[in-house]
Amino acid sequence: MRRDQISSLVWLIFAIFIGLESLRLPIGAWRDPGPGFLPLATGLLLGVLSIISYLQSRQGKLPAAKGSWYSKERWPKLMMVMVSLFLYILLWPVLGFFVSTMALLFFLFRIVEPQRWTVTIGGSILISLAFYGLFEVWLKTQLPKGLWGF
Amino acid sequence: MGFLAMDIFSNFIYAFSEAFRPENLLFCFLGVLIGTLVGVLPGLGPVATISILLPTTFTIKPEQSLIMLAGIYYGAQYGGSTTSILLNLPGEAASVVTCLDGYQMARQGRAGPALGISAFGSWIAGTASVVITMLIAPPLANFALQFGPPEYFSLMFLGLTVLTYLASGSMIRALMMACVGIFLGTIGTDIISGLERFTYGSYTLMDGLGLVPVIMGLFGISEVLVNIEQTMKKEIYKTSLSHLLPSLQDWKDSIKAIFRGTFLGFFLGILPGGGAIIGSFAAYAMEKRISKHPEKFGKGAIEGVAAPESANNSAAQGAFIPLLCLGIPSNVVMAILLGALLIQGIKPGPLLMKNHPDLFWGVIGSMYIGNLLLLALNLPLIGLWVQVLKVPYPILFPIILIVCVIGCYSLNYSLVEVAIMNIFGVVGYFMKKLEYEGAPLILAFVLSPMLENALRQSLIMSHGSFSIFFTRPISLIFIVVAIFLLVSPLIPGLQKRPKAAELG
Repeated sequence: MRRDQISSLVWLIFAIFIGLESLRLPIGAWRDPGPGFLPLATGLLLGVLSIISYLQSRQGKLPAAKGSWYSKERWPKLMMVMVSLFLYILLWPVLGFFVSTMALLFFLFRIVEPQRWTVTIGGSILISLAFYGLFEVWLKTQLPKGLWGF
Repeated sequence: MGFLAMDIFSNFIYAFSEAFRPENLLFCFLGVLIGTLVGVLPGLGPVATISILLPTTFTIKPEQSLIMLAGIYYGAQYGGSTTSILLNLPGEAASVVTCLDGYQMARQGRAGPALGISAFGSWIAGTASVVITMLIAPPLANFALQFGPPEYFSLMFLGLTVLTYLASGSMIRALMMACVGIFLGTIGTDIISGLERFTYGSYTLMDGLGLVPVIMGLFGISEVLVNIEQTMKKEIYKTSLSHLLPSLQDWKDSIKAIFRGTFLGFFLGILPGGGAIIGSFAAYAMEKRISKHPEKFGKGAIEGVAAPESANNSAAQGAFIPLLCLGIPSNVVMAILLGALLIQGIKPGPLLMKNHPDLFWGVIGSMYIGNLLLLALNLPLIGLWVQVLKVPYPILFPIILIVCVIGCYSLNYSLVEVAIMNIFGVVGYFMKKLEYEGAPLILAFVLSPMLENALRQSLIMSHGSFSIFFTRPISLIFIVVAIFLLVSPLIPGLQKRPKAAELG
């Protein structure tokens, strides 16, 4: 199955989800549409369009998505960046903004295109300090503090 | 006639008195400076930057916030030309066509005149657009006062249709994205019945899905993810940058192109779904078609730089007209600005000029001053922008990611919103890989609450009859055009849509 067909099916499942969930809300009548009216209509339309898109791509009417789907050497790095972003915010309440930012920068400077150690260490400390100074000290943004109080 | 002239004159004076206030000048300067920087940096477009900087503008007055965001938008159009000419790498999408002739000029040792004409062309276009805006905005706003819910519904429907019609990929997929956007906009508490929709007990979702996390994720984070995957090669064309002023012959060759580009760009900017990208492509195509030497295009014709660069600037400004006068955003940047204004408690529309004249005229006046500032920034500082281009992406992207996270968090101090932003970042990445456009989704997402209100009010007014959209003349026109665009791909002979990529 081509990736266009798979993506159409994913949207179809999403459309079915919207439709079913909308039915739990009052739909109302034509003369006084309820809160479920527009989501239901949107879900139905999305469903129909996903089916058309699936059929079009099966019949080859839709130009296949250009470019490679993934590159072997880049894909793991990309996954690591995505995961590190989620871990970063989970670490905020534990390590605090300053230490987590330093850790994230250190990791990112090494992972995608490894920088020299001086750039990695110096850059992570300096940029974290700059962010801390700009947002916490100057703009008074209340960034989360870690278990050690900063 | 005398009254009209007096009106225009007093509007001019008022606009400039607002724009010249020191704090407004400061934010205008900041906006165009950041905009140019962003336009110069490949891999960070105006949409991503406006999304990233959106939270920082909520602490300043609405007028200054809009002045700054507008500055970023049209500043980026200026900056984008620099990378197109020197690197053959468009800093942002509206400068794609500038690469065709601009880079060739650089290769022939004429990078200076190419950069110079694009800066002067942009300035002339920006200036002309401000004047046209002052002329047509008041009558348009007066006309829009006649709009009721059915007209607004039809107009928003038309806006969404045009955007999906002009989508660069499949129209079906663009329509699908519009549906997803409308659905996302319905999440939260329904304002008419007070019922919660799709919140699943989350306090964060009760107020609806935040505009900032969605936009920052879809356009900011995802852009970084896509760029990480590609190795960015940057080779700056080493050429003389000493003679930036175009020669008399250059002026002769390009002045008409500048004016044609200005007018075409401006009117394409006003149209729903239009904007700087379409404007620049259309202006290039038009110049090539009417030129006596079409064979020179793509080989370093100065008109090929002047026309699109003027058009993308005037289109960027024309796009403010539907936003400020009708409250309808014509493209995704305007949708973000609309969201920003709504968060600040200001509803753009026909009454904006009356209720917030300082904001309306201040923004219009600031555009003129912004254009002058850009001219001053671009020509003498080109050497500096070239240095900026040398910042390696592996150093830049972690900083962009952290700015996104802090920006999103500082809005409501909510980690859930940061998680939402990250999720939309991943969704946006897959959308880009699978060629689903983000623009219809965002436009529909921003319009969704207004669209739903207008639809429900219209149906209540008509006791459930959809004929209300067809019996009122203004609404009828919008609906007929929208339906024509929707069915046109099915009509033989009309199957070819003017896709942006094909216009060149």
